[in-house]
Amino acid sequence: MKRPAGGTSARGTVAGGAVGLLVAASLLGPALVGGSVSAQVGLPFEAPSSAHLLGTDVVGRDVLTRLAHGGLPVVALALGGTLLASLVGVAVGVAAALSRGRAGELTVRVVDGFGVLPAVLLMLVLATGFPGSDLAVLVAVAVVGVPFSVRVVRAAAQQIAASGYVEVALARGDRRSAVIRRDVLPNIVRPVLADAGLRFSAAVHLTAAAGFLGLGRSAPAPSWGRMVDENAPGVALTVWPFLAPVLALVVLSVSVNILTDRLATILAERS
Amino acid sequence: MTLGLLVLRRLAAAGAVLAVLSAVIFLATDVLPGDAAGVLAGADATTADRAELTRRLHLDESPVTRYLHWAGDALHGDLGQGQVGGRAVNEVLGDTVPNSLALTVLALALALPCAVLLGLVTAARLGGRADRAVSLVTLAAAGLPEFVTAALLAWAFGALLGVLPRVSLVDLGERPWESPEVMVLPALTLAIVATAIATRLLRSSAADVAAAPYVRAARLRGVHGLRLALRHLLPASFAPTAQVVAVLFGGLLGGAVVVESVFNYPGVGFELAQAVANRDVPMVQGLSLALCALALLGLLCGDVVAAVVDPRTRRGR
Repeated sequence: MKRPAGGTSARGTVAGGAVGLLVAASLLGPALVGGSVSAQVGLPFEAPSSAHLLGTDVVGRDVLTRLAHGGLPVVALALGGTLLASLVGVAVGVAAALSRGRAGELTVRVVDGFGVLPAVLLMLVLATGFPGSDLAVLVAVAVVGVPFSVRVVRAAAQQIAASGYVEVALARGDRRSAVIRRDVLPNIVRPVLADAGLRFSAAVHLTAAAGFLGLGRSAPAPSWGRMVDENAPGVALTVWPFLAPVLALVVLSVSVNILTDRLATILAERS
Repeated sequence: MTLGLLVLRRLAAAGAVLAVLSAVIFLATDVLPGDAAGVLAGADATTADRAELTRRLHLDESPVTRYLHWAGDALHGDLGQGQVGGRAVNEVLGDTVPNSLALTVLALALALPCAVLLGLVTAARLGGRADRAVSLVTLAAAGLPEFVTAALLAWAFGALLGVLPRVSLVDLGERPWESPEVMVLPALTLAIVATAIATRLLRSSAADVAAAPYVRAARLRGVHGLRLALRHLLPASFAPTAQVVAVLFGGLLGGAVVVESVFNYPGVGFELAQAVANRDVPMVQGLSLALCALALLGLLCGDVVAAVVDPRTRRGR
């Protein structure tokens, strides 16, 4: 395979910078930008002014403050859900790959069944069980990611398990846990990372959509998705309360997608 | 394996998956929340009211009994009744599923020709200028959450240009295709997302075909461009296309929940989002189960079509 042209890696760098900036801004935003996210500071849909740089929203709250606080649920829940999915994926995938007999096959079949469930549907179902809770969104993101992670990890671990040294170590009488820790895990780091990247990209979609659909922590807690929904009716008066969260989501999701795609290519080339 | 046997096996597998999913849906919505009767009856209900409601909703029975009750009724085609408005779930499904299917099919009809064309053109010359441009655009478009695309389209066409309705208002008892302009933006949103995903999937499967010896032979004979794509790559891409369509179908049903909510389009996804907002548990259960069944049916059809056009896929699994 030819090495990708220079433009592609520059694209990856730009995307990486954008992701880093937005993730940092989302996580630190609430600490850096003070002010109340629920206080009414003016009339609804005031145009941007020096007091309110992005104007006011549907009930007269400061859009900039809400923008600074609204990235946290999108990014933090996506990160947490991805981490959870990867942990479960590694545990189940490695176990399924090393197990003898049909247990591994059966596990994968069951896990695959969950893959059929459309992601948004699962999130809606969980949100019905746990209304107004971020936990439902977190669990939904994780459960949606697990089937993919298990498949990737199992395939990678099976390859390692079939290579001589694992068989030698097991035949020598090494403990299973030691074999997994020393021989299997270090060798599946790359596919696991690449997969986690792709899962994160999908997770951002879900957490953003959760805000939009009014799932997760209930109003008036800000979320970029919810801000899009709340402020869309006011675009004729002032467009920034609507456009600011839209742009934040566009830049975040597109750059995450480009970055993880690039990351997966790089990791695949090296292994 | 004969085709009939394949269909039977896949049907059995789909049934098993649906049974597992029904348990998951029931568990997530019904077993976990606390005092459902208390919530429904309201703050100023008497103890007797609550007890009556508890009995009527079978809340005094064990979760397993209730699940078996519900699943048994569902097997007989009765998905129960919503708590808000008291409509039968079947009635809601009958009203909304055709609308959602129409939207999904329209989006697929728009997306598929574009995706096949783009996939083949990019696969014919991997790493070329067209490939790189299309790959970047599809990567970006696939990266956008559906509701963001939808909101941007609604803003551009509804508010800025004012040519299309921002909200898909359909008169009661009327079907959306009787006033087609309300379908344009929802279908376009889904089509953009579907095109991006399908192009990427088809590109990778067509790329394998493009590396095959017979395609090289054709190239050496001087066949190139669109002719190469249509005569030599397209026929070999039918089976993967069928499976891509099946995967997309499930994805579109999920995406439709969000897109229908943006435009208030009267589909099953919009109804489901409403039911979740109202905490109408039986309605959520019924609609979710129906959506899962639809997604499974789509995957099944994709497998069967793939097996018909490409006998090699009948082997294995």
